[in-house]
Amino acid sequence: MPSQGAGAGGIGPGGPRAPWVLLAVVILAFVMLAVAGGPLALRTERPYPSRPLGLEPEPALLPPPPIDDEYFPCEDCHEEESADPKVRELDEHDNIELAHGDLWCLDCHDADQRDLLHLSDASPVEMAESWRLCTRCHAKKIPDWRAGVHGKRTGHWRGPKEYWTCVVCHDPHSPLFKPLEPRPPPKRASEIQLRIYGEQEETSDEEP
Amino acid sequence: MNILNFAIFSVKAVVQGSRAYYAWLAFLIVLILIGIAGYSQQLIHGHIVAGLRDPVPWGIFIGTYAFFVGVAAAAVALAVPGYVYHWQPIKEIVVLGEIIAISAVVMSILFVMADLGHPERFWHLLPVLGKPNLPRSMIAMNVLILNAYLVLNLIIVTYFLYCSFRGRPYNRIFFMTLMLVSIPAAISIHATTAFIFNVLPSRPYWNSAILVPRFIASALCAGPALMVLAFQVLRKVARISIKDAALLKMTEMMAIVMFVNLLLFFAEVITEYRSATAHTIHIRYYFEGVEDHVSLVGWAWTGAACNVLAFLLLLLPQTRKYPVTMNLGCFLAFVGVFIEKGIGLVLPGFTPGTLGELYEYAPAFPELMISVGIAGVGTLVFTVLTKIAVPLAFHEDEESSQEPVSSPMEWSQRKPVAY
Amino acid sequence: MKNPERGARGASRREFLKTAGAGLGAVAGVPGAAQGFDLESFFQRHFRELTQEDLDDLLLRLEQKYSKQYRKPVQVGAIGPNDGVVFGYGLDISRCIGCRRCVYACIEENNQSRDPEIHWIRVLEYEREHAVRSIDPDEGNPFYDHDLVPAEGKLYLPVACQQCENPPCVAACPTQATWQEPDGIVVIDYDWCIGCRYCMAACPYGARHFNWREPEIPAEEINPDTHIIGNRPRPHGVVEKCTFCIQRTRKGRYPACVEACPVGARKFGNLLDPESEIRYLLEHKRTFALKAELATNPRFFYFYG
Repeated sequence: MPSQGAGAGGIGPGGPRAPWVLLAVVILAFVMLAVAGGPLALRTERPYPSRPLGLEPEPALLPPPPIDDEYFPCEDCHEEESADPKVRELDEHDNIELAHGDLWCLDCHDADQRDLLHLSDASPVEMAESWRLCTRCHAKKIPDWRAGVHGKRTGHWRGPKEYWTCVVCHDPHSPLFKPLEPRPPPKRASEIQLRIYGEQEETSDEEP
Repeated sequence: MNILNFAIFSVKAVVQGSRAYYAWLAFLIVLILIGIAGYSQQLIHGHIVAGLRDPVPWGIFIGTYAFFVGVAAAAVALAVPGYVYHWQPIKEIVVLGEIIAISAVVMSILFVMADLGHPERFWHLLPVLGKPNLPRSMIAMNVLILNAYLVLNLIIVTYFLYCSFRGRPYNRIFFMTLMLVSIPAAISIHATTAFIFNVLPSRPYWNSAILVPRFIASALCAGPALMVLAFQVLRKVARISIKDAALLKMTEMMAIVMFVNLLLFFAEVITEYRSATAHTIHIRYYFEGVEDHVSLVGWAWTGAACNVLAFLLLLLPQTRKYPVTMNLGCFLAFVGVFIEKGIGLVLPGFTPGTLGELYEYAPAFPELMISVGIAGVGTLVFTVLTKIAVPLAFHEDEESSQEPVSSPMEWSQRKPVAY
Repeated sequence: MKNPERGARGASRREFLKTAGAGLGAVAGVPGAAQGFDLESFFQRHFRELTQEDLDDLLLRLEQKYSKQYRKPVQVGAIGPNDGVVFGYGLDISRCIGCRRCVYACIEENNQSRDPEIHWIRVLEYEREHAVRSIDPDEGNPFYDHDLVPAEGKLYLPVACQQCENPPCVAACPTQATWQEPDGIVVIDYDWCIGCRYCMAACPYGARHFNWREPEIPAEEINPDTHIIGNRPRPHGVVEKCTFCIQRTRKGRYPACVEACPVGARKFGNLLDPESEIRYLLEHKRTFALKAELATNPRFFYFYG
């Protein structure tokens, strides 16, 4: 069994060097810490294949959804030459809730050509191009819409895309958005439980 | 072959022992088996068996990890008086401090491993083999430095014991270099641990420069507290001589450091509460609770009370020098810092989360089992290393223990030129 | 399969490694061994260090695995970034009605785990009165459950990954398993992530989510058009996040959330293209970034349309 004292190990007292040693130690510590907070070198990495994106094609305007056969063409029912311009309670079209400023049917729908709309100067507009009529009043929305910031686009951010026109989203008779039923909320963290634990046996049960 | 003989000696020292020693080993192995049982739960089902969820992605593992890195760093509390100021009573037990540091680092690493979603990918963290994000990522820095510190301490302890085994003095330059490097390394392991937390602007609770000195101060309380208690146990069990002067010196230092720790803590509390920004919610959650979420409030006040009480017990000479109160003080310091770091550091930082979700984490059973197991491993490492070290570094013929404490003057008060 | 020629090559090596891996797993008694632990994935290099051959090999391996697992052909692509493209995102909070259509479109597009539930997008609800003073993401309520939205006096703020120019998550990651691509998308290599969750601590927007166990997605709901660092099915124990639908946007398509939004509140485009919608809104609208004081510089801009 070795009995030589090891703790004493053969070292003399520190002498006056001790503070220098401590200083050196502190400096070393700072260097080590400085490395920790040092500047960072970002590496550039091997490029891996990318696919060239499509060219920017002419915008495709997404037309309004087709109108129900029951109501269109309008002339199927509206055979009379000219319409009654009076604002009144209608016998038909009670499914339409009219809530668009003070507008009345014939402000937009043409009284003579019943399948068409008209602008304020009486020039006719196809139903499918209704946005030309909308912008007569809502001109301020045009730049945003043209830039893709008002309204909606689908398809490709670069490549073929559909520009949704006004009436795709807004019901022209009642243009404000209707409230929607939201999809279910997320689970709280406390509700995310392991089904497995406590019901040990049904471990990793895959859905049948 | 000296090295072979040393190895054989070591193995013998570990394997042979009293009945009580075997019982102790068996107990530790039971703890480890509990840990393995808990870990296999996690391995089979994933981390969902833990109490962690997205708003609180870290829990008891990382808190305990931070705590034990601190314990490991506290080896400087012995290395500095022992090898910078060459104060004999402490110099004799530095090796035990290093052994505690090794055990603590092993535990820290195991806690991180237990926390990883893919522990088998651990090598991705290593230089050369993997792709560590150095120096940007504080975890990468910390892992690197922590492992370096572990290796350093293993070398120190092994070399020291090997020299003792051969009964010849160690190579002074080699040993002193390692020992002196281990001092900034110890500070660095804990500073980088603090940096892991406080470099995150996303978490205002941690994003304070004061966290770094707080970490180091609290570590220098908890580490020596554990050492003082462990040394007294060793004195009884292994009948080695550890001078009262050394223990007293350590508790005296603890009183000072605990004062610094409390000062920094109050600075933090006052800053938070007086500025009363939206960010104060984290510390309010810890000390007051938010609405009916109060599960940490009891811990918070217990921890703070432990620290204050420990400070008082260690400060007053009457209680510091009386073994029962001294040990109580050390115990309270250990518990207080454990609560402060293991619970009060990590959890309030995540509660509420960055999107405001207030999820109250509580460790799940498998997490506790794993923690027990890791504590078992750490204690086993300590037991094994001490079993080897005791016969080599501490011998029976202790006439030195009779001699009075070297000087009534405290080392810390001496002017360096007085040597 | 997209690259039929890459099948033959490397197969024998793979087979060998797989067998060896299974053997090793069995010997070690690792519980995970049964779930397909193999040495090849163990030794797989970081995504950005893969050679073209390794990458092809890996894509094929994953395609086979997923196709078998979900009983339908699953494509795993690795389309790279395009030159001159940095993605930006705009969200019009004056229009968002909080309907969560985007949340679920995202889940379906990006193969998020249904159980345990993972949502990349979180829609926060605020008192409109309060929100005119300040909008802090940590003050909203994501759990609102009304019959109809928008609820009276409420304002909605959907939050997902902000694709920061200065991403704290990337700086945090100890293994470089997450990084920013040249087109600005912050991605994760799911085969390299060690699952330490430091990025989740670093993210100020709660955008990162951990797979607390093996994610479950019904086979019939899987989206078979996937990207290797995007929406391919994730393993357990790794972090995942929004990638601006990398599998779509790198082919020029809009992200799924943009297409799902019923009120057109979501805008997407190339920040480097002066003609893009994102540039238009930056130049013409009042925009703000979440937690701008953290200097993460999000490329996700909220605006008042």
